[in-house]
Amino acid sequence: MTVDLDQYAKPGKGYYLALGLEGSANKLGVGIIKHHLGQLSSTNRAEVLSNVRDTYITPPGEGFLPRDTARHHRNWVVRIIKKALVEGNVRGTDLDCICFTQGPGMGAPLQSVVIAARTLSQLWNLPLVGVNHCIGHIEMGREITGAHNPVVLYVSGGNTQVIAYSDQRYRIFGETLDIAIGNCLDRFARTLMIPNEPAPGYNIEQMAKKGKHLVSLPYTVKGMDLSMSGILANIDQIAKDLFGKAKQVKNKQLIDEETGEPITSEDLCFSLQEVLFSMLVEITERALAHVNSNQVLIVGGVGSNERLQEMMKLMIQDRKNGQIYATDERFCIDNGIMIAHAGLLSYRTGQTNDLWNTVCTQRFRTDEVFIKWRDD
Amino acid sequence: MSSVPTATYGAPDVSEPIVFEPGQQIHTTNGRTTQISDIVLKAGGEDRDKPTEAKDTALGQLRAQLTTVQDKVNEFLTERMKKEKEDKTDVERRILDDGVDEDDSD
Repeated sequence: MTVDLDQYAKPGKGYYLALGLEGSANKLGVGIIKHHLGQLSSTNRAEVLSNVRDTYITPPGEGFLPRDTARHHRNWVVRIIKKALVEGNVRGTDLDCICFTQGPGMGAPLQSVVIAARTLSQLWNLPLVGVNHCIGHIEMGREITGAHNPVVLYVSGGNTQVIAYSDQRYRIFGETLDIAIGNCLDRFARTLMIPNEPAPGYNIEQMAKKGKHLVSLPYTVKGMDLSMSGILANIDQIAKDLFGKAKQVKNKQLIDEETGEPITSEDLCFSLQEVLFSMLVEITERALAHVNSNQVLIVGGVGSNERLQEMMKLMIQDRKNGQIYATDERFCIDNGIMIAHAGLLSYRTGQTNDLWNTVCTQRFRTDEVFIKWRDD
Repeated sequence: MSSVPTATYGAPDVSEPIVFEPGQQIHTTNGRTTQISDIVLKAGGEDRDKPTEAKDTALGQLRAQLTTVQDKVNEFLTERMKKEKEDKTDVERRILDDGVDEDDSD
């Protein structure tokens, strides 16, 4: 039996349209998605009508503060919504619902974007649908790649989780015990004063391609979980010793034992990626064995890293019928379309939020959401 | 007729509700209290996220007036929080140190 997704269809209308608003971190995204009546399948795919994003960029060495990130979202949200409507060739009144990220994420940016969602809902008299950000990533990843029931590795600036579906919940098999992987990479980018444009992680990835020597770093897998703050502290100290600008400190030189060549900042980026990604591959492989699966879907901003995809592929190739699924930056990096898609699935099963119930929350775990649109 | 936005503040220790009105000055969307943080500018960043200017329409004027009201509310609340913190520190010092500042005692 499959879930009836058309109980709430408008009479005489053959499709649904949803607008999604995302602003849980430094990206502001607005997307419009179209579902035709019936089950989503390889012959009835969701259609992306528009997917517009604007990123708040800070100077090198600086992270994004909640106050300024929220200000970016507030001051751009109307312009970005207008652009998404024009690109999608959709009028507000054509929509079925307004979807917004309800959490998890940074409080001030979330608060700013939900105000836009509430305003649109009242302006066009449309229901609101609160979406869990992680569920947005998972559902969009499944839709784009066609992966049916994969183990999901969700890696981004704020989240690191290994997830598998069971009994109408996305269950967390393993996760970070402290900082997220993207946070670890971004903070190291700040230490090296690498630019934040287009993204600090992207710039680390490019530098890592030029790295040749592996520097020894702690490897901290704890059962199904991992810890990254110690690795960051360790590599930060190495970087400060090698390239620090403090006048009283004479910079040390670190030599690669095999070749005798000096260690460069590129080598550090390479080493950090290799160690962190190996840890991710290890816990993902263990989750695959637990649930007896052979599909991996990588979602989240760090999922666009090609080295991570390559390492995951090496692992999955050794498994029988192993398959890896990943998306490009349009869908990996935070975006509005994934919120529209997951929100529309909720809407099609009758789950909407009354105005009083649209308060955002910084803590909202993936397994708190009841996945009413799946019953496999 | 264009409507003028106002904000009303009430609290248990405030006897009369306080009303904030835009007033007669020139209003813009470039608010005093909604600028980018100094820390970003000092680090060499530029402000690429300024709000658009208000259009000369009823809605445009409303946006500009609202920004002025928001400035007034923000400044009032900041002042109130500052005072509350000072009062609390005074009370704590009186109770805990009996009014004697240890740093000055010897």
